[in-house]
Parts: sequence; structure tokens; C-alpha cells
Amino acid sequence: MADRTEWQRAVESELRALGRELEVPPASDLTAVVRQRLEGRAGRRRQVPALLPGAQRLRPAWRAALVVVVAVLAVLLATPQGRAVISHVLRFAGVELRQGPGPVHSPASSASLPGERRMSLSEARRQVAFPILVPAALGRPDEVVVSDGGRIASLVYRRTPSGTVLIDEFAGHLDPVFFKKFVHFGDVSQVVVNGTKGLWIKGPHELMYITREGKPATASSRLTAGNTLIWEIRHVALRLEGKLGKRTALDIADSAH
Amino acid sequence: MRRGIDDGEAVARALGGDLDAYGVLVARYTLRAHRAAFLLGAGEESDDVVQEAFVKAFRHLSRFRVGEPFGPWLLRIVTNETRNLTRSRRRRAALVLRLPSAESGGPAAAGPVDEVLAAEQRAQLMAAVNALPDTERQVVVCRYFLELSEVETAQVLEWPLGSVKSRTSRALNRLRGRLVSREQNRVLDG
Repeated sequence: MADRTEWQRAVESELRALGRELEVPPASDLTAVVRQRLEGRAGRRRQVPALLPGAQRLRPAWRAALVVVVAVLAVLLATPQGRAVISHVLRFAGVELRQGPGPVHSPASSASLPGERRMSLSEARRQVAFPILVPAALGRPDEVVVSDGGRIASLVYRRTPSGTVLIDEFAGHLDPVFFKKFVHFGDVSQVVVNGTKGLWIKGPHELMYITREGKPATASSRLTAGNTLIWEIRHVALRLEGKLGKRTALDIADSAH
Repeated sequence: MRRGIDDGEAVARALGGDLDAYGVLVARYTLRAHRAAFLLGAGEESDDVVQEAFVKAFRHLSRFRVGEPFGPWLLRIVTNETRNLTRSRRRRAALVLRLPSAESGGPAAAGPVDEVLAAEQRAQLMAAVNALPDTERQVVVCRYFLELSEVETAQVLEWPLGSVKSRTSRALNRLRGRLVSREQNRVLDG
């Protein structure tokens, strides 16, 4: 139709794609049973051949039981509790995203990574085994913190136009998980940073540091501030967090190389 | 079997009592009819509904106008049978439509980013469709899940064409509203 606007066409094409994925149970071949009924040979509805003597007698009870089971299933699937079981996990650049709420976390102010040490940028560069990237858009950080024996380097900017901005950097390819996040996937979208894939997470979510041994560091658990961007450049994974719009965050990310 | 004959010819022969010819139509349209019945709310009773629809269609074949497409004509009967069923069981006409089990429980596995996000978006859209009022859901099922035209949808649901158009656009608006947070992400943030 000529008066369909762009968003309408987009929703329509998503609906068509959805339709092709819908779960529809297989259909029975009805040719024989329809023919029987038209010839008047058979009674009324649904002629199931009786394989066992007495099967005909048992059928109503079976059917009733089946109806109950189906009804219970339908309720389970329809309720939020039923749907809450559904979970996704997504791993990207050393960060694991999980749908759903995380464990109880300590207040953000008291959260810390294991073995945090404040130092100068040049000292930090000697302490970690990966190149620390500094985004030109932000310049020199106000504070540099190296944690967990050089596994994480964090740049802290206290006075940007958007308030405090934090960048965590780590060698994202070395271990499967450095950070675990508990998010709603509806808040996660894919973006392009420096020509490669990045993830934009809108809004605060629970964040937890995972040690080399794969154990959560409970003292690190906290709620993030603002929005988060995660991306990777040449084996360095970066996690940018702050009250930044997507455009600003992408500009900062594009300037780090 | 005379698989080679077209719908019009099959109907003409069936009218003359040729059950083989009608069998060709049954075989040809069972899948489509079953999908329609299921998506319009017949659920596990879809086979029964389709069987009943084929029997009724045969008995009403004389009302079928020569040259008319058989598919929508049959689907209208399937839709009526589905309505009778849902009315008799006094349930909401719609059962909850589902996506395949890739996203239904089980041990969660880490998937590629694109797949996980796309699956989540599909799940959100599915939930939004399930939450639509009945009439709007029916029109969405016909137009997008059964991929019928507006004219065919009007015929199948026995609504005026204007209602098909207005309910379609209301449904699209509502679905857009439900997905607005996602859209806003895109539109406002770049």
C-alpha cells in the first residue's frame, strides 16, 4: 500500500519473519477420514483406528487427562513465572551477559575489584601485559587503577561534561569471562565501533567481576551508572560506563586506538 | 491419483460426486488449513477442525462460485469452525503462540551475539502479538502469518475490507507502541 510508512513496513516484515518461525504442530493426513465421512461409512468426528481392544472405552478418560496436562502447560507458558525460566547467555569480548536479575549486590560506593592499586598511567603500562588505550576524546585520565595483579586496568575521568566516566580495559581473549552482567536483552543493541562489533547496554544493570579461577568476586558486585558500551580493539576489550548518550559514547570509543 | 488437475476442475468433478477429485483438494489444502486453524486458536484440536471444515466444504460446494480461488473459500469455513470451537470451550479465542524451543528453557548456552539478540527481539514481538485484542490478532495472523492479501483476509474473516484495513493499522500501531523502547534506542541514540 502506498500510504504505508517506513516503520509500518519494518513491523510488517518482522511479523512475516516471525510467522515463518512459529511453532505449528504437524498436521494429520485427513484424506482417508474425510472420504469415509463423505461416503457415510463412518460415524461423526475423528476416527481413530482402535489398535487395542478397549482402547475406544479408555479414550474419553485419556482425553480428559490430556486436556488437563495441556491446560497446565498453557498456564505455565503464559505466566511470567513460566517465562522467567527462559534465559539467554551471551558472551562478548570477555563479558558475559545474562538475562534476569543478579545476586544481591553491595552498594555501588563500597564495591571494588580485588587488589585495586592506584598509580600513574606510565606505571600502569608497565604493570599490565596488554596495551592500555586512552581515548583522545577524553585525554589523560584523572585516576588509573590496576586490579587483580594486572588483569584489569581502569581509567577514571571525574570531570567530563557527562560527569564521571569509567573505562575498564582487559585482555578479553585470554579468559572466557572477566565481567558478568545481569541485563534485560531488550536493553542491549549491537553497534559498530571502529568498523567492528560492539554492544550498547542502555540503563543501569548489575555488574560482577569474575576472577581467573572463574569465581565471582562478591565485593565487586554493584549496579552500573548510566549506560555502557563494550567493544574490542586488537585483543584489548574495553568497557565504557557513564551517563553518556550513545553518540557521545561511540565518539569516545572511536577515538581510542 | 489425479494430482494433475487444477482446483476448478477438482471442484467441478467433486460436485458431480467424484470423491477422488475432492481427495485431491483435501490433500492439497490440509497443511494450509491446519496452519490457519492452529494459529487462529484451535490449538490441539486443529485436526478435528480441519476435518470438519473439509466435510462442510464438500456439502456446501454448490455455493462455491466457479473461478473463485478455493483457498480463501475453504479458510473461511476453517475460521468459522475454529470460532465455533473456541466459543464452545468458552476460552479466549487465542491460545498463546510460541516460537520454537530454541528459547524455551533448558540449560542456557552462550550463543553468538546476533542470534541471541535477534531471538530476544522475536520473543518480544511474539509476546506483543499474543497480547493484542482478539480481532487485531486475527488480522495479524491472516495478513502476516498466513500471508493472505487484504481482500483474502476480508473474505476469510468475513469482515468488510475497511475493517481489515483499520484493524491492521491499529494492530501495527499497538505493536509499534510495545516495541517503542527498542525503536527509541535506535531513533534517539543514533
